[in-house]
This record gives sequence, C-alpha cells and structure tokens, in this order.
Amino acid sequence: MTQTPQTVRTARTVRTTRTAPPAHDEPAIRFRHAAKSFGAVRAVAGIDLDVRPGETVALLGRNGAGKSTAIGLLLGLEEPDAGTVRLFGETPDRAVRAGRVGAMLQEGRAVPRITVRELVAFVARTYPAPMPVAEALELAGLTELAGRRIDRLSGGQAQRVRFAVALAGNPELIVLDEPTAALDVEARRAFWESMRGYARRGNTVLFSTHYLEEADAHADRIVVVDAGRIVADGTGDQLRRAAGGSLVCVDLAGRPTEGLGELPGVVSVEVRADRARLRTEDPDATVVALAGLGAVRGIEVTAASLDDAFLALTDGHTHTFSAGSAR
Amino acid sequence: MITAYVRLEVRRTLRDTSFVVFGIGMPVLMYLLFTNLGADADTGGWKTASMVAMAAYGALGAALGTGTGVAEDKGIGWLRQLRVTPMTPRQVVIGRALTGSVTVLPAAAAVLAAGALVNGVRLEAWEWAAVALALWLGALPFTLLGIGNGYRLTAQTTGVVNVGCSLALSIVGGLWFPTELFPHWLRSLSGFTPTRRFAEIGQSLAAGAAPGPAAVAVLAAWALLFGSYAVLSYRRSARTA
Repeated sequence: MTQTPQTVRTARTVRTTRTAPPAHDEPAIRFRHAAKSFGAVRAVAGIDLDVRPGETVALLGRNGAGKSTAIGLLLGLEEPDAGTVRLFGETPDRAVRAGRVGAMLQEGRAVPRITVRELVAFVARTYPAPMPVAEALELAGLTELAGRRIDRLSGGQAQRVRFAVALAGNPELIVLDEPTAALDVEARRAFWESMRGYARRGNTVLFSTHYLEEADAHADRIVVVDAGRIVADGTGDQLRRAAGGSLVCVDLAGRPTEGLGELPGVVSVEVRADRARLRTEDPDATVVALAGLGAVRGIEVTAASLDDAFLALTDGHTHTFSAGSAR
Repeated sequence: MITAYVRLEVRRTLRDTSFVVFGIGMPVLMYLLFTNLGADADTGGWKTASMVAMAAYGALGAALGTGTGVAEDKGIGWLRQLRVTPMTPRQVVIGRALTGSVTVLPAAAAVLAAGALVNGVRLEAWEWAAVALALWLGALPFTLLGIGNGYRLTAQTTGVVNVGCSLALSIVGGLWFPTELFPHWLRSLSGFTPTRRFAEIGQSLAAGAAPGPAAVAVLAAWALLFGSYAVLSYRRSARTA
C-alpha cells in the first residue's frame, strides 16, 4: 500500500475526483495554521495538513507530541485557539453530526452492563446510513463475542469493541487514537487486517501511533509530529532518506579519523572499536571517496532504520524534504 | 435516535444489581417495616399516606441515581464517545432525563404494589392512576438535580452527594416519618422542600382530592431551579470533559 512520491505530491496540488460523491473535491481533512494551548503548554503549535479522501495516514509521534490534541481538534472535541480545521469542507461539528466521521478515542473504557451487539447496534442507529450490525461485528472480529457483556471482556477484546463502534455508522472517515495500545501481537495483527479491510472500501483512515513499524506498515503516508508541529510528511522510504539516508561502516585499521567528516555526503562520524560509522546522505559518493583514500576495508553499507530516521526527525529541526505540509 | 439511547440506558440501569436491590427493594422494605411495626400501625390512614411517601422516596432515589449514572459515564469516557456520534449534546441530555423518568416507574410502582397487595390499601382505579402519574411526573425535578450533580462532579462524589441529597430531602420532606411528629420549626421548613410537596400532591390524590396550588407551585419552582442547575453543570462539563 505504499505510495510513490508523486502520489504524495498530488495530495497538495491536485484535487482528485475519485469515485466519491461531488463534495469530494474537498480534502477529507484540512488543518490550516491550527493551534491549541492548554495554559502555558502549546499542545498543537500551528499545523497545516491535507488528507485526501481514501488515504490512510499515520500520525506518528512520541507521547505528548500533540497527537491526541490534534485528534481532539479534528473531531471537534476541542476548539482551536487559532486557525481552522475542516472535514470534507465542513466544521468538525457539522461533519460529525452528519455522520461522516467515526472515532475510536484513546481513553474510552468499557461501558458497563451492555452487550457488544447492543452497543454496536445503538451506535449504528445514530448514523444516517450505517452498515449492518453483523458486518461491523465481523469486520472487528467480534461475531463470537456479540452476546457478551463489554465489561466482562479482556482489554484486547474491549479495544475491538471500540473499533466496531468507530466503524458501525459506516462513516467516510475514521479516526483512531492509538488503536493498538492495549493489544498483544496477535490481536494487533488482526486489528490491522480489519483496518485495511475498511480502508480498501475507499474510506479515509487517520490513526495515531508511537510505533514506527505500525506507521510504516499500515499507512500510505506518515505525518511525524513533534512538540505540536508537523516535522515531516511522506512515505516511510522518504522519511528514511530524509533522515540522513545510510550508514557506511569501514575498518580503520589504525588510520587516523581526520578528514572522514569532510567526505562527500557524510553527515556525522562515529568511531567504535577501530571501526568508523559514517552517516551519509549520499552513500555512493561516500564509498567512492573512501576508495580514493584507499580506506575500503570490511566496508558495509546499510540503510538507516526508521528508528534512526525518527530520532533524526524529532531532534528539534524542521525537515523540508517532503511534498506534504512540512515547512 | 433518542428512543434508541433511552432504551440502551434503561437496560443498563435495570441490569444494575445495586439499583434493583437498593433503588427498588429498599423503599418497599422500609414501607412494610414502618407500617407494620408498633401497636398503632394504622392510625389515620398512615398505611396509605406512607405508601405514597415511600413511593416518592423510591422515585427520588431512582431519579437521583440517573445523575450517578451520568457521572459514571463521564468518568469512563462514554459521554465523550457519544460526542463523536451524530447525536447532539442536547439529545444526550434529554435522553438521560427521559431515562430517569423511565427508571422512576418501577421504583414507585413497587411500593404502590406492596401497599395494595400486602397492606391492603384500597383506592379507586382513577386514584391509583393519578397517584402513579403524579409520582412519575413529579420526580422530574429530582432527575434534573441528579443530572446536575452528575455533570458537575466525579462519579464517586456524585454517588455520595446524591445519597446525601436523598437522605436529607427524604427526612426533612417527611417521606419516612410524618411531619406531624416534627417540632414546629422543622415542620415549617419541611413545607419548603420539594420532597414534602411531591409527596403531598400524591397524598391528596390518594385521598381523592385535587392537589393544592401551593404544593404544585413550590414543586414547580424547584423544578425550575434544578433545571437551571442541570443546564449550568452540563455547559461547564462540556468545556472540560
């Protein structure tokens, strides 16, 4: 499901028409300079973001980066102090009232004394064009548990109920705040399968996570949030490249390390046990230069991991590599 | 949409064991004890008057209990989840108030049934109907008070405050003991409580008389006050919850 850089670029410039109703020349989500503070804390410090209908976008950031506040703004649970938030061209409030949005909130606990089916059927009824309850239960993997009381389910099962609640109304956009936080590996795999099933129907999905692998594996596009700002926006590959691409390692064999930092492409040098680790934006040029110095010994070139990328991206600088809304 | 919400919430309330035991069972038990212990058990129609008063006490408890449910829902994030469904906040509040009205019925009806079946209280059919209707409609101010507490306070505090309100209003309002036993100052005070007037309306009807305008006026004033309190509490919680 990864997109090419071109596809990402069109998100900004071209209003695609797709197969959807006419209102869909509007982006599903649009933040414009949106900001929100709580007291002295600037939880969201000016966000610009467009999400096209049909995209699956991950909001990636550490705890406290501003993801939940951004989602609160998105759902109309919070009013922005400045800027605007629009869903399908409408205010979040109106889009929610019109049944175009479903959400799985982070802090939700089990609603006591009702069964899974009763809850999902109730939520479905509040929407104008819900999916059949059996289908929502099926998608969330709850068919077997439909008659059970929610307050007697395990944490992972209750999480699936919250997912079913988000999609019961068959909304065009679902917003999932840390959807896999309480899940074990198996439950997590099942959850993502359900999520993809829903996205494949042409729906828009925005989920927040602090797991890099999840963002990389399940989103078309990753929006990295740090200290209330968007610091990067693109595919997983783009993020890796942007973060100082690759790692070139060579044995020093007693050579001095001077000058290695000035080689083409090299961003940083680290020496460990007589082995130099050169972080480089242009591994080809770096390797050629090393060869010129006659320093190619036990050479090894690896792509930076997404973890490296994430750490590099959230070090306080804003990276302007992407076609998205990073500045 | 509201109907579906009310149905859901009524189910949740009736599945709450503590509501069934304490909300419905307790007033019945107290009624039977208070009217059958002691030598002068039935003087001056006490079995009938106490039946209405205890039914009012049951209705009061159920009405306030609605508010405890609101606080619980706020605490577990259910109210916030409802805000991201197409239901408007107004529909949620109205739904909750209607839920309160529905759960009041079994609590009051159980005491009336005990009066008729165990204590041999005999009323005209229209009187039974009028008493039940008065208890049902008259419980609205207390539902509003409970909801006001529920939106304003945490689940734990709401539980305590609602039980406190219930006890104070029941005792001073003469739902447990007739106000004739009260010292003079307490009896005058009692006349201003919504519970005294609530029971009084039912007792007039049970005696085949129309309720006094003073009783209706006092109860209506309290309804307005508690209604404003509920609206203010709700607005405040909407900003924070």
